[in-house]
Order: sequence, then structure tokens, then C-alpha cells
Amino acid sequence: MTGFDITGWGMSVPERIVTSAELAERFGVDEHWVVSRCGIRERRAVNPGQTTASLAVEAGRRALDKAGLTGADIAHLIVATATPEQPSPATSAFVHHELGISGSAHDVNSECAGFVYGLVSAMALIAIDPRPILLIGSDTHTLTANPADRDLSILVGDGAGAVVLQPGAENRVKAWNLGADGACTGSLKVLAGGSRMPTTQETLDAGLHYAQINGNEIYLNAVRYTVRTVRETLESAKVDAADIDHVVPHQANIRIINSILSHTGLRPEALITNLQKYGNTASASIPIALTEALEEGRIKAGDKVLLAGFGAGMTWGSILMEWGGVAA
Amino acid sequence: MSLPTIEELASQLEAVSGAAEVSPDAPLQHIADVDSLDLMEWLYGFQNQYPHIPADESLFADLDDTTTLRDVYAKIVDLAPAQA
Repeated sequence: MTGFDITGWGMSVPERIVTSAELAERFGVDEHWVVSRCGIRERRAVNPGQTTASLAVEAGRRALDKAGLTGADIAHLIVATATPEQPSPATSAFVHHELGISGSAHDVNSECAGFVYGLVSAMALIAIDPRPILLIGSDTHTLTANPADRDLSILVGDGAGAVVLQPGAENRVKAWNLGADGACTGSLKVLAGGSRMPTTQETLDAGLHYAQINGNEIYLNAVRYTVRTVRETLESAKVDAADIDHVVPHQANIRIINSILSHTGLRPEALITNLQKYGNTASASIPIALTEALEEGRIKAGDKVLLAGFGAGMTWGSILMEWGGVAA
Repeated sequence: MSLPTIEELASQLEAVSGAAEVSPDAPLQHIADVDSLDLMEWLYGFQNQYPHIPADESLFADLDDTTTLRDVYAKIVDLAPAQA
């Protein structure tokens, strides 16, 4: 099987910062309540004119620059998003055009697990067609949160992260695992705007175009399924949790992350987290955290890096790789 | 596996939440340091320890100002024989 190296990475977040203090004031709670509940001090939110695709283009361009490639070199573009540019066509089509991609393009919607799903898809594609792939995770969930919904508004932020995969002789992926439980579609949902419930004046009046979250269900399932996928990946790779150098989880909520660490035996020192700055950026959270860690020089050649995500649906996935020789 | 005592459940909830004391008869919503995510973390631990008891988040579905750990425990006791 053809291996791959991640040779480029980049991120893009909107300039507009929404602090937990601002949200606390809006919702009549104190800032400590917000921060202690989720670990998020501030998040970024798009301004009018900024979109899922525009953030994706910026992150993608930076990843291409880092890899020393242009869009013309990319054989496949994958955009992971649950907040698309518009219902049709796919967000990847817009990004494809802006970046001048020469190859194919498609979207992945596995909610917050989208980047891990996209990475496994890219891994499979590169095995049968060993040419460069650009994978981007981009979401603008601040636009889907009801401004009156305190529980969701304090969690979400906007952003995009991207990586370039290039074929390599060595298979650096030690194990991966994906899963889904379609019985959990009610945990986090946007009811209106699809074929099941087309948008009408009534659905708009009822606010059904906004996301709705069942926090307790999400929390339980996020911990349960992420713990399971991490354990299965480690078992497949025959690697002890204590030997993982870096774990990059979906940046959802620090309490979920800490719970996952404690139930899997992953070392707290291995944790790469930045959700205090960006909140939950969904499909973008893992590549943004990965990009920051690489730019800071935290990840070195030969390190064991574990990515783990979970999302609405429910979906989950993890991938363990030994980092290649490409430095920041 | 036998059912834990209510005192054991209270100790587990103290450990998860960091609360100084969880009294079985105190309304859960009034116990400092205990919030809904602590209850879910505690429930996750309980589910792993007692997989034969079909306890899920519905244990807390009708949580209100007066619900105590003893009320929750009573629901767990009701669930236990169903799998026996």
C-alpha cells in the first residue's frame, strides 16, 4: 500500500473574537460559569461576507504554500464540513474554483468527525491514485446556532484547517478506526432545510433552521464512542496509550476531552488543545490544533500522533500515525 | 453483580465532580460543584461498572429543584430487576 506524508498545513480563523465575558453578559450568567462549563475563553465568528468556503480557501492556500504546491498539482480535493456554503453544489466546488484545483472534488459531512473521516478517505484515495490530495475541514457553526440558545452559543466557533498529503514510500498510519450510530440522529440536529422538512415560513418562524443540541446525550455518547475508537485503534496498532506522544482530539469541550483521557489512559501531557481560544470549530478543530502544534514545533519526526474525533450522527473516528520527516 | 449502596454512588459523584460532599437527600441542582455534565460523567462510570443495569440519561430527564440522589437511586433499583 502506498503511504503518504503530510507535507503542508494551514489554518484560517475569522478576525472577530467573541469572548466568554461577552456571552456571559448576553445570557445573564457569569464568565466563570461559561469557562468552567466548557473551557472556552473566546471563539472566532465570521463577519458578513466570510463563509465556510472563504475560510477553507484561505486555509487551503496556506497548506499548499507550505507544501510548495499549487492547486494545479492537486489530484483530489476533500472538504469536510457540516455547514456548507449552500445546499448545492458542494462547498468543495467553490473551493476547487478559487484554488485552481486541477483534479476532483467532493465534500464529507460527518459533522465534527469530518476531518478524521476525510483523512481516512484521503488515505484510501492516495493508495489507489498516488498523487497529492488537499484535505480541508471548515465550519461556520456560529451561523447555525440560535442566538438565544445559550448552551450551543457558548460552545461553537468558526474556522478552517487544511493539510496536504503527498505519496510516500513508507506507510506511517499504524491503525485507524471509524464508526457511526445512526440511532443517535437526535443528539444534535438542524431539523429544517432538507428533504425531510423543507424550509417554509413556519419552520423559519419556529427557528427550526437553527441547530438544536441535547447536551447530556452528546456528552455521554462522545465519551463512550471516542473512548471506544481510541482503544480499538491503539489495540490494532499494538501501542500502549502511555506511549502516544501527541493526542489531537476534536476540540469540543475540555470536560469531554479530560474524561476521554482519563478513560483511555492517554497522558494529559500528550494533549494538544486550543479550544480556549477558538471554541468548537467542528470539522476544523483537529486540523487547526494540528497546524498550531506543528507551527510551534511540538510535533517531531517519529512522534506517535493520535487524532480522534466525534460528531453528530453520531460519528466517530481515530487514526494513529507516526509523524514523517517534514518539519514546520 | 450486586447493586451499589447509595453511599457508594454519592462517593462516586463526589469523585467525579470534586464536590466536598454529596448528600443523598440534598437536591442535586443545589449541590455546589455538581452540574449536568458531572451527572453524565458519573453515569458513564456507572454504565461501565454495572452494564447489566439499563441506566441511561433518562435517569435525569425530569430532574428538577427537588430531585435528590435518593430519587435517582430509587429509579436504578427499579431498573435492576428488569435485567435479572
